[in-house]
Amino acid sequence: MMSDPPTPPPCSLTALAMLNALGRSCDEIWPRLVSGDQGYLTIRDELVPDRSVWVGEIPGPLPAIPESFRRFACRNNALTLAALEQIHDTITDVVAAVGRDRVAVVMGSSTSGVSDAEGAIRHHVETGSLAPSFHYEQLEFGGLSRFVAELLDLRGPAYTLSTACSSGARALASARSLLSLGLADAVIAGATDTLCGLTTNGFSALQVISDEITNPCSRNRKGLTLGEGTALFLVTRETGGIQLRGVGESSEAHHMSAPDPDGLGAETAMRTAMRDASLTPDAIAYLNLHGTGTALNDAMECSAIARTFPSPPPCSSTKPLVGHTLGAAGALEAGFCWLMLDAQENDEIALIPHVYDGDFDPELAAIPLATKGMRRPTGPLMSNSFGFGGNNCCLILERGPA
Amino acid sequence: MNTAVLRSWAAWSPGREDEAAWRAWAAHPEALEHEGRPEVAFLPALLRRRCSTLTRIMLAAGFGCCEAADRAEVRTVFASRHGNINESISLFERLSKRQPLSPARFSHTVHNAQAGLYSIAAENRLPSSSIAAQDDTFACGFVEALAHLQREPERAVLLVMADIPLDATAAYGMGLLLANDGDGQAIAFSSSASNAPAEPKAWPDAIEFLRWLITDEPQLQLGSGRVRWSWNRVENRGAQRAASAPPRTA
Repeated sequence: MMSDPPTPPPCSLTALAMLNALGRSCDEIWPRLVSGDQGYLTIRDELVPDRSVWVGEIPGPLPAIPESFRRFACRNNALTLAALEQIHDTITDVVAAVGRDRVAVVMGSSTSGVSDAEGAIRHHVETGSLAPSFHYEQLEFGGLSRFVAELLDLRGPAYTLSTACSSGARALASARSLLSLGLADAVIAGATDTLCGLTTNGFSALQVISDEITNPCSRNRKGLTLGEGTALFLVTRETGGIQLRGVGESSEAHHMSAPDPDGLGAETAMRTAMRDASLTPDAIAYLNLHGTGTALNDAMECSAIARTFPSPPPCSSTKPLVGHTLGAAGALEAGFCWLMLDAQENDEIALIPHVYDGDFDPELAAIPLATKGMRRPTGPLMSNSFGFGGNNCCLILERGPA
Repeated sequence: MNTAVLRSWAAWSPGREDEAAWRAWAAHPEALEHEGRPEVAFLPALLRRRCSTLTRIMLAAGFGCCEAADRAEVRTVFASRHGNINESISLFERLSKRQPLSPARFSHTVHNAQAGLYSIAAENRLPSSSIAAQDDTFACGFVEALAHLQREPERAVLLVMADIPLDATAAYGMGLLLANDGDGQAIAFSSSASNAPAEPKAWPDAIEFLRWLITDEPQLQLGSGRVRWSWNRVENRGAQRAASAPPRTA
């Protein structure tokens, strides 16, 4: 039997930086997110042979990786660098205050620099030698967290969690633990994933990529839409601001690429997160669904929610707006909850709408979906992330005392 | 300074599969081999067929240091610098020739494939992390294990570290069962900034740790030149003396 968890320590998500298909800063992303704008998804023809797929790609140039960090020069790290630049001053102040040996880096990724490695290996197949720009460290999962640590000359623990689609949520969970243990006084935590041939072809082979934009919870849903993105938080022990209140995790002991159809692992993660935050289900004001739009995910997630919540809160999936950013999704979606709380006015939050064809699948357990323009009294917000290999992580964010 | 109790350990490398072999190795260290794989006879044949060599090594180390009754009752951390790189390379080659990928092969190259297969094999439904941190992978795996002990203090954490580098140097795996209490060696862990270049070590960090564990040196220091990681033997004040069984090993 589980005993009561230790009282969760203060864990402030002090600053947020973000890039995804909807924009290149939080200010650009928020209005498009809350209005449910699908106009930023695009079609790529060359990622999967003989197939066009919708993707959530970040357009435009990215900052150049400095020459002295050339071994880390890949798109995944360039996206991360673009996010770091957004909160550079805040990070600099905190590093100066606590000391560089007291700042840890915990990142999540399922791709690291795979998109660049693919080019290098294509070069090898065509010419017999790897592309000269290729360095093995671009491909290492650990390269992402090390890049951040070395770029900022931080001397605390720096590591990358890679548990597929729960990686980004898990990075925030570990950041909170490192603060609680005193292994760091500030943590740069988040996740980055890049569109690449490996994941698009892999998920295509698994027959879970939709030909149309993903349509979660619809009876017409045909699978997921992939995306890329990065979300970085500065995490500290401050008591105010927006807090990481609860963490719930589980494994499924079920299957390598399919969730337990009963959603028992999802239910455990949600229940444990509420227990960790000392909250009851009626307190949750909004739930960000994992909501991938695959037949199996939506069925098991809706049934888990219906069992967990006597009266479920309004829910939405943000994957129809930015795509499924895989290893980054848990951090991005915690970031979306953060933006909702940050934009709070008069104790009310504007909910991110669930954008789909409106034809709710009658086979699914009924859950209320947030619609455009919906506002609710503020409260704790929950975000679900369920990964390949049966690795689940659920987070709860809430505004702390002012 | 954070302290954990090492309740048991197990390690595997070709030709070195039990405690006696590792004690003999620690007394007279010699190069580790890279060819070969553990039998993992404890796995059902159907599951065993799906296991890569890295998975076999991780499951052998994990099952080896955890008694049957505990395998489903521990949180887990799987640490590997290179992960499934040997399998991923063949997928990249297929992609570059625009050949279709096998869905099963794709799902077994995710970094948490070993965590997923452990969960299935041990029927373990508890939280699990898979990490990588370049040359700090073992130390950061230890940090992540401490992070799990923080989240649920009464529950033990199984840390498994294994690697099969692309250049086919030593293949090895190690399992550590860590907890906040119980019988075993208590170990204090800390990290500090380092400005000195990393000292070259004879063995991978996990194997350096194992050698330290078997010998009676008070302290182990490892590091990448950026951070210095320290492990110190300390008195186990929280040991449950009533449980008089000696600490289990491989």
